[in-house]
Amino acid sequence: MDKPTGPGSRLALFPILTLSAFCIPILIGLAGTWLPALGYLPAIGAYDLNVSVFFTLFREPGFSSATFHTITTGLGATLIALGLSLLITTQIYGSALWRLLERSLAVLLAMPHAAFAIGFGFLIAPSGWLVRIISPELTGFEVPPGWATVKDAYGISLTLALAFKEIPFLLLMCLSGLNQLDIRRTLWVGHSLGYSRSRIWTRLVLPQLYPHLRLPVLAVLAYSLSVVDVALILGPNLPPTLSVLVDRWFNDSDVGYRLLGAAGATWLFLLVMAAIAVFLLAEKIIYRLSRDRLIDGSRSSISERFGLSGATAYFSSALLLLVSLLSFLVLVLWSFTRSWRFPESLPGVYSLRFWARGVSQTAEPVWIALVVGVLATLIAVVLVIGCLENEIELARKGRRADSQKVMWLVYLPLLVPQIAFLFGIQTIAVLFGVEGTWLSMVGVHLIFVLPYVFLTLSGVYRGFDNRYTQVAVSLSGSPLRSFFRVKLVMLAKPIVFALATGFAVSVAQYLPTMYLGAGRFMTITTETVSLAGGSDRRVVAVYALCQFLLPMLMYTLAIFLPAWAFRNRRAMQNEKGEW
Amino acid sequence: MKLGRFVGAVLLAMLVLVNPLQAETENSEWQSIVAKAKGQTVYYNGWGGSEVINEYIRWASAEVEKRYGVTVKHVKVTDIGDVVGRILAEKSAGRTSGGTVDLVWINGENFRAMKEQGLLGPPFTHKLPSYQLVDTEKKPTTVYDFTIAVENLEAPWGMAQLVFMYDTAHVTNPPANMQELLAYAKTHPGRVTYPAPPEFHGTTFLKQALLELVENPELLKKPVDAVDFEKITAPLWAFLDELHPVMWRSGRTFANGAPEMKQLLSDGEIFISLSFNPNDASNAIASGELPESIRTYVHEGGTIGNSHFLAVVFNSSAKEGAMVFADFLMSPEAQARKADPAIWGDPTVLAMGKLTPEQKQLFDNIEAGVATLSPQELGKVRLEPHASWVEALETTWLARYRK
Repeated sequence: MDKPTGPGSRLALFPILTLSAFCIPILIGLAGTWLPALGYLPAIGAYDLNVSVFFTLFREPGFSSATFHTITTGLGATLIALGLSLLITTQIYGSALWRLLERSLAVLLAMPHAAFAIGFGFLIAPSGWLVRIISPELTGFEVPPGWATVKDAYGISLTLALAFKEIPFLLLMCLSGLNQLDIRRTLWVGHSLGYSRSRIWTRLVLPQLYPHLRLPVLAVLAYSLSVVDVALILGPNLPPTLSVLVDRWFNDSDVGYRLLGAAGATWLFLLVMAAIAVFLLAEKIIYRLSRDRLIDGSRSSISERFGLSGATAYFSSALLLLVSLLSFLVLVLWSFTRSWRFPESLPGVYSLRFWARGVSQTAEPVWIALVVGVLATLIAVVLVIGCLENEIELARKGRRADSQKVMWLVYLPLLVPQIAFLFGIQTIAVLFGVEGTWLSMVGVHLIFVLPYVFLTLSGVYRGFDNRYTQVAVSLSGSPLRSFFRVKLVMLAKPIVFALATGFAVSVAQYLPTMYLGAGRFMTITTETVSLAGGSDRRVVAVYALCQFLLPMLMYTLAIFLPAWAFRNRRAMQNEKGEW
Repeated sequence: MKLGRFVGAVLLAMLVLVNPLQAETENSEWQSIVAKAKGQTVYYNGWGGSEVINEYIRWASAEVEKRYGVTVKHVKVTDIGDVVGRILAEKSAGRTSGGTVDLVWINGENFRAMKEQGLLGPPFTHKLPSYQLVDTEKKPTTVYDFTIAVENLEAPWGMAQLVFMYDTAHVTNPPANMQELLAYAKTHPGRVTYPAPPEFHGTTFLKQALLELVENPELLKKPVDAVDFEKITAPLWAFLDELHPVMWRSGRTFANGAPEMKQLLSDGEIFISLSFNPNDASNAIASGELPESIRTYVHEGGTIGNSHFLAVVFNSSAKEGAMVFADFLMSPEAQARKADPAIWGDPTVLAMGKLTPEQKQLFDNIEAGVATLSPQELGKVRLEPHASWVEALETTWLARYRK
């Protein structure tokens, strides 16, 4: 049974393959960006290595305020998302609202950032739906007020949209963290010690939960600091955030700007690294400061007695659900609109023509997104399962992988800003003539799909009771057969769910598709973002909804397919292992 | 005398013989282009922010597929500068064939960049039958693109003139010039704006304002380094300094482009917008995108006009297919359809005098939209300043206002 040269040794290939699938492109991409930042880009005849490009960057009009707004929106969105997710988890875990939230998570996660940003923008603009609903009856507005509720110069609307969009992801991470902790026993012990509910959560659960959140939070931070599509739709533009500036420089018709873009991308990379360092430092300081309080044994405080944080948690989770629902509904409304004038609360004239046209127009971009997404996700799942099996194999031989180190590696693509290395990858791809091919498309999507598939799957996979495998092997005599016929089937639910998550991640990719697609690969996401710059909200709404429906379809399949396949197996119907 | 008649006869014979021969050669050259084009896939890269335009491209693609067996893929671009950059990167990487872009929708600065960097294919428009119908005499912008000589490197596709759109529900007397626009903005704060340069509508607004405010507009025809830029543009910056605080969002945020301004106009956030298409308002009213109350106006001294073009890229491996598509887009049939405000409303580049009666009928049948100005009302077209002004204006604008 335990052959030294069996599948075990071949399994060792998986981590190597997986790591090279994303580490090598990222490293090449970073180098391919850093060199031009230092003035070396042979493609445009720049050969001098020096730092003068950075001085040009620092003198660029609006550079310092772009940097400032990037930091405030990125940090702001992360802190709000983290604070509210923790508040929601600790305050309402187990309540009816929590269960509703838990059930809505898949939908909230499936909604691509761009689609959400478009809906959110329609909602909160001075001429948006919220103002229309209450105008002119309550406000007296016959024309929209001059408020700066979207694209405001301080990036507040951008911050809020990012925060709202990231809360579901962090809640999912809380949930998977809680699944790995023995939460019921902790609650029970806490209660028996006479701790109040919120005290149990803040003093007993939170310190155990936070380590599970650290990397996801840093990923949110890196993402919020460097996002392009959402910032294009909701962000300020005079100056825009750094990432948008860098993207523009990279795409300027004057190729001399590519050096500036590379310097900007490198600056953004340094900024993200610094932000991560500051975050980790702040975490240490907070831990030091609160260590004594954590074990002082006190039982309650004034704020807890008045239930302030509880109320905030209920309010913010209700708000999250409401905003997401309304952002979605307003898209649906616009997609069926012919004309909808301010201050009408609902469209004045409805029309089916944008859907009628939209179905044929979106067919090709949806198809491309589907094929790229499915290919990247399938490869990712095979690689991830291979890695996890290798881990188990190593553990069996008594060699344990350092899971924390592995996690940092897995998170690498999520901690390095996309725009900081995509240009480098593009340069290399052009050099080898592979940009705009299926290979480069699937490859670049794989970089971002892999980590999410790993994150969604690893917890449940590692938690699998290996005694099933042992029994299966002893009955069938074949490790491979027992793997395919018992383990994979038993884990079908989480695997299918990981597939859906990976697919949703792939569909939402904007920059990678733009930088490596060479215009040959127009997915529903690039089409939607490109149209969002146009004027016709009715068409944009149809595209944004299609962009949303595609991952939604996959999540629906992920939930119903296993349920249907296992309809005659009651033990497979339980909730355990869904997340 | 005899000799003279003989020579005359020979000359006549030569004319008779050579002319059809020449026509035959041209014709056969075009025939061979059409033959080579069959089965090619053309990646047409053009701005994709307007569904009206995208829909038109879809129609044209289906037609050339049907008639010539040429497949057209519309690569929807947000800024054509991206494409120029990509082609240059391909050239730098030594990719002289099999480029990712075949045909590109272009004019002005981007044309200049492509021409200077050698990113365009060889001159081709003289080979296209439809080009013979282009009004190169009365429409000088079809031969000089932002003062740069076109030299058959790009096919004229449509005419543009800067027009303003206003909401009659809120504006009774539309401003007749930049000073009146400023006065209007002062009495109605927050209802006027323009796109942030370097977006090209924004830059065009700057050029229009400059043309109106400058003492001697003739100076703008010269390259920017040949004149005292600071002195000439001083009235423009003084004007903008006064305008910005009374603009939409107090001039702290700008629209990203004319399409976004159309949305704001539709929402009632602003009352005056601008467009490069004189039929834009009529078209948008017809589709329900803009309210019925929108009308068009131009400034009294005339507004900037130019042409937009289609250019074949140097490393395209579907050059023939690209030419066939460009020829079809210039054909009377496609041009008439494009000029219809119910479809797109983009004015034609063709000369009515060069068309057959049937072809001319196509244009006569077009119903003018409710918000379209007559050619008289559109008034004088002002020529673009020398292409070098674009960058100088944009850089100065960014340095002054992107703080």
